[in-house]
Amino acid sequence: MKPHRDRLFFSLLFLASLPLVLLVVFPLAQMLTQPGWAELWASIRDPQVVRALARSLGTALAAALLCILFGTPLAYLLARKSFPGKRAVEGIVDLPIMIPHPVIGIAVLSVAGRHHPVGRALQEIGVQVMGTYTGIVTVLTFVGLPFFVNTVKAGFEAVPTRLEKASRSLGAGMGATFMRVTLPLTWPQIVLGTIMCTARAISEFGAVVIVAYHPMTAPVLIYERFTAYGLRYSQPICFWLIAVSFLLFVGMRLVSRFQRVGA
Amino acid sequence: MKTLLSGLLMAALAMAWVGSASAGLSGKLIIFHAGSLSVPMERMERAFEAAHPGVDVLREAGGSTKMARLISEVGKPADIMASADYKVIDNNLIPKHAGWNIRFATNQLVLAYTDKSRYADEINPENWYEILQRKDVVWGHSDPNLDPCGYRSLMVLQLAERYYGVEGLYEDLLANRPERNVRPKSVELVNLLKTGNMDYAWEYLSVAVQHGLDYVKLDDHINLGNYAYDAMYEQAEVEVTGKKPGTFITKKGKSCTYGVTMTRDAANPEAAVRFLEYMLDTEGGLKILDELGQPPFVPARVPSQEAYDALPGSLQPLVEIRE
Repeated sequence: MKPHRDRLFFSLLFLASLPLVLLVVFPLAQMLTQPGWAELWASIRDPQVVRALARSLGTALAAALLCILFGTPLAYLLARKSFPGKRAVEGIVDLPIMIPHPVIGIAVLSVAGRHHPVGRALQEIGVQVMGTYTGIVTVLTFVGLPFFVNTVKAGFEAVPTRLEKASRSLGAGMGATFMRVTLPLTWPQIVLGTIMCTARAISEFGAVVIVAYHPMTAPVLIYERFTAYGLRYSQPICFWLIAVSFLLFVGMRLVSRFQRVGA
Repeated sequence: MKTLLSGLLMAALAMAWVGSASAGLSGKLIIFHAGSLSVPMERMERAFEAAHPGVDVLREAGGSTKMARLISEVGKPADIMASADYKVIDNNLIPKHAGWNIRFATNQLVLAYTDKSRYADEINPENWYEILQRKDVVWGHSDPNLDPCGYRSLMVLQLAERYYGVEGLYEDLLANRPERNVRPKSVELVNLLKTGNMDYAWEYLSVAVQHGLDYVKLDDHINLGNYAYDAMYEQAEVEVTGKKPGTFITKKGKSCTYGVTMTRDAANPEAAVRFLEYMLDTEGGLKILDELGQPPFVPARVPSQEAYDALPGSLQPLVEIRE
């Protein structure tokens, strides 16, 4: 009797889970299967498309790199230390998830303009934000950082403090302990955080299009093609963007697994 | 007694009319319109919703070509489409998605700036093209492939070359405008001006007026605002992308003329016609347009008798036939 009831329960769970999975799979499958081979081939030979895909990958990875460099210390600080205003900092880290994307673009532009002291200072030293890679990477880092910091913070929190204490009792300093004990143990979360941050950055459109229409990233090109030529000519680029991102993320997962096995 | 009776009758009729006017209209009314119509459309929406509380006007603004394509290709539902270039309706929506096209207002191009723009205290209708060539001046326009304001900006530059008689002016100007200064929609450039990311931007007069920008008003020979100069405007030609990547079509200059239509599959035709009645009324929408820097045609126009005959009956009195 009991196994039967269990099976019923799981069947119900299965049925209830289906709508959300279909919601993702259905439109995306439609999108991926609509373009014919000829269109896909033509679009991947279009230098503008290839450049946009490369630009998207490059800027998203650059944003992820910035998150690794500056987000890892922040995540460790948040995981280990309590200090006044910590809650506020955690809130600030989450903020980019909630803010509408165009607002992020507008906010960045308004700081970068000559009417703002920061913008004036930047322009004086020759840093342009509007329509440049600097601008794109800035907003991509903005939108990607919560995903990196929160994931890595959870990773640091999962490392037992007694391991760090043991390391230090054996004579290692804080820095050495961090590099040789905590960081290797958090490696999977760092990879996961990097993947999520890159994924978020690659998909960003709303903030990018405000800061930089040219040079075009893939999502902006998709929008431009859709607007200038219609659905048919934007779909093949969507296919390639999804394909390239998918390969990238599978690759990153594989590397991380390989590294762990190696270690 | 007789007058009293007839008076009562009139009052009853009037009330019945008013009653039917407000009770009969309800539901959503979806309006797609050019970005440059956002401010007047918002005012019209408020006035119309106040008069017809049952109707919820939902507006969506964007590049005219994009909005038309959302209707024709994506099948996004819309009751009314108002374009900054009436040709967009002719080319994308007629005959399959719409049956007629009313021209209702004009606009013109101006060079917009703020008091903080570089050389704001110097610029005038005689020296603007010289200032736009200075290396430290950042100026831009919208994407000619996506936004009629974009190719019109380029046309103004071409016309300026002829009008001022400066050989190579067009190329010289564009040489001082890196591609990053080209943005999808002209309205976006306003924010770049206001945040100091850009010094000058080509805008419609209406946009400059509505956003409180300073602007250089150009001569009628080059501003694309006066249809009396259409023969002159036609000499300006800009290549924009065609129906698929790698193909191009040539746009010829003509005066800025707004067009509006109702779609064939309008979900709420009663409300749509009533809105258009209000929009084309000299005391209604046309007055609002006039106040906001989009000089209206009074009355609105269709080019031919056939076009006139295709209009909903209640719109005909508000429209004249004029080429």
